[in-house]
Amino acid sequence: MILSPKDRITTPQAAVVVINFILGSGILTLPRVSVEKVKTPDVWITVILGGLIAMMAGVIIVKLSQQFPEKTFYQYSGEIVGKWVGGLLSLLIVCYLLITSGFQVRSMVEVTGFYLLEGTPIWASTMPFIWIGLYLIIGGINPIARLFEIILPITVILFLLVAFMSFGIFEMDNLRPVLGLGVIPVLKGIKTTALAYTGFEIMLFLPAFMKHPNKAVKAVLVGISIPLIFYVITVIMVIGALSVDGVVTRTWPSLDLIRSFEIHGLIFERFESLLLVIWIMQIFSSFTISYYVAALGLAQLFKKNIQPFMFGLLPVIYFISMIPKNINDLFKLGDMVGYIAMYLFGLLPLLLLIVSRWKVGKHEAKL
Amino acid sequence: MKQSYNNLRSLKRMLSVILLLFLTGCWSSHEIEELGLTVGLALDEGKESTTEKELKEQGGEYNQTEKITVTYQFVNPKGTGSESKGGGSQQKPYLNISETGDSIHQMTREFSLRGSRPMFSPHLKVIVISEDLVRKYSLEQLLDQFLRDNEIRPSCLVVISKGRAIETLESNESGEIPAFRLIGISDNEDRTTRILPPMSLAKLEGKMQSGSSFLLQNVISTNGEVKFSGAAVITGKTKQLLGFLNEEELDGLTWITGKGKGGLVKNFDQETNQPFIYEVKSMKSKITPHINGNNISFDVKIESEGRLSENWVVSGENSGKNFLKRAEKAAEEEVNRLVNNVGGKMQKDYQVDVAGFGNRLRIEHPKVWEKVKEDWDQTFSEVPIEYNVKLTIIDYGASSFKK
Repeated sequence: MILSPKDRITTPQAAVVVINFILGSGILTLPRVSVEKVKTPDVWITVILGGLIAMMAGVIIVKLSQQFPEKTFYQYSGEIVGKWVGGLLSLLIVCYLLITSGFQVRSMVEVTGFYLLEGTPIWASTMPFIWIGLYLIIGGINPIARLFEIILPITVILFLLVAFMSFGIFEMDNLRPVLGLGVIPVLKGIKTTALAYTGFEIMLFLPAFMKHPNKAVKAVLVGISIPLIFYVITVIMVIGALSVDGVVTRTWPSLDLIRSFEIHGLIFERFESLLLVIWIMQIFSSFTISYYVAALGLAQLFKKNIQPFMFGLLPVIYFISMIPKNINDLFKLGDMVGYIAMYLFGLLPLLLLIVSRWKVGKHEAKL
Repeated sequence: MKQSYNNLRSLKRMLSVILLLFLTGCWSSHEIEELGLTVGLALDEGKESTTEKELKEQGGEYNQTEKITVTYQFVNPKGTGSESKGGGSQQKPYLNISETGDSIHQMTREFSLRGSRPMFSPHLKVIVISEDLVRKYSLEQLLDQFLRDNEIRPSCLVVISKGRAIETLESNESGEIPAFRLIGISDNEDRTTRILPPMSLAKLEGKMQSGSSFLLQNVISTNGEVKFSGAAVITGKTKQLLGFLNEEELDGLTWITGKGKGGLVKNFDQETNQPFIYEVKSMKSKITPHINGNNISFDVKIESEGRLSENWVVSGENSGKNFLKRAEKAAEEEVNRLVNNVGGKMQKDYQVDVAGFGNRLRIEHPKVWEKVKEDWDQTFSEVPIEYNVKLTIIDYGASSFKK
């Protein structure tokens, strides 16, 4: 088929892909959107709960994929619900992935345009970004996974470094009291924080490429727990420094955290460009993986070669990234993507899993 | 065949060289020498400078009401350059330029009509706002532009000045940039209890949003000299200036919050009326709220360890351990006087809580806090507070106290 035997990835690589897909633009706004809902300093609990829910959904997705070894969702969905419905679902997912990747591109452009490359036209920062993405995905899943393996450690080290440097402006009082107003506020934010983990849906497709698909559960659990740790650290540091009241007023609170202190005597005094650079890499990886899987979907649906789809989708993603007229539109698009993801990857896999189990059971009964 | 292959290769090479030209970064780069680097900013009540008046007479005016005068402090590269050469140039290392108008951003842009170097503010260190302005307008209005701006960092400090803010950005000392001096003074927090912990734009935004009252460092100035003197009280509801705490009151407030990093307590020996100094090595305070039905009360436990660092009490009078006890007692009384003094000022005169009593209530009794937070300043002014001060002298420096 389309998969050449060379195109296999190891279990750690699969985990890395999940991590890199999850860690997109979300972390830059997560403290604000979650505090808006929760309104108490207990946001970090909400983040952990959201992560646990994402893990459950992730495991369901993996279990579903494992029913059909060597096949991606595009290929097996037809077997569960019939060719037409399956094809429709696949197309829906392709659309979702395209919007996601367009959204990531635009977030990158907005953040860099505001903080880093003021004056650079939007198209000038978008186009190289998309082209390089295309260059990467032409190689297939293996180069993607290997690039992610390089990006991830850089992200982890620099991120932790920068996050802990903000300790000077950290105030414990901003994080207290714990559960002062009960658990209700905490629960209010769960939907928001659970959506911050979207990206694990890649496991609908990844087990087909894995050398050991039976270890996919492990991959998805590790893949979600590392972003979980990242998110908790971010939320704690940001709220500790800017306070609950301050966080809600900042558009990009995580970046403002880094902009709120200076450390003298080091080589640099300011670190926001450092954070931005690693975050552009993360957004890049989210963008490429969704771009690749979208192209893969079209190729597998129409049983054609993948390359023309890759080139064909390039302008589509560009146009999607240009749709939001302003930053409010962009955040609205992000919310919309989240809602679609909730149904598409929270509910649907569970239904499909039940249906496929039931079908298998019926089949076995006949024999 | 080979020929065409070579052609293709050279074509590819040429293409990649040409493409390389498009790959260069820094689309909108500026040379640092050509930038107007701003390091300090002063906001004053509108008062036109003579230059501005003269420019206006020439027809240089636009639609504005003269509410505010903005003064930017630029680093003057010529001034700093001449110093290294050791020449006797009269150029100062800084340059203050003022503009009067009603919108801060518009005034900032007016500078583009008057100077060739584009303003560059990511290195802005301090914003000084004058007393009159904060009495008239809310801090939220005055600082809005800076909080939205992408150049000015949230790490920029904000202080209030009694008198014209522009004067705190003047200096007589050659080679000194006044904005840096202000930052330098605020770094001396470990030397005295009369400096507030630095309030950056980032912290300030949280304070303003929370709706509780807070303090900002106050600066006074005369003839190019400045002094950090007490604190400005900003009310939570209006974000306007209510009044000032003088240095002694700020001293007491630091004892209540326990956030001081070092400082001195001067007190007089009762019998001889000679001063001796207690140097603070560590300071801790615990504000505990008590709820009894509908009544809220607080007790404040202040603990500190320190050193007897100077003693004017003549020898013979200080007889060993007894003297240490007496000294501790006297220092405790002095701190007690300081905290009660500022406590009275907060509760009776200003009727605002700027010491974080509400914050402790929020943390320990969040449900009660939800009920009282709307009118907290009012409630606070009638709440009983008990202060409990315990100082311990743990050493007496390099010289033995027995003489």
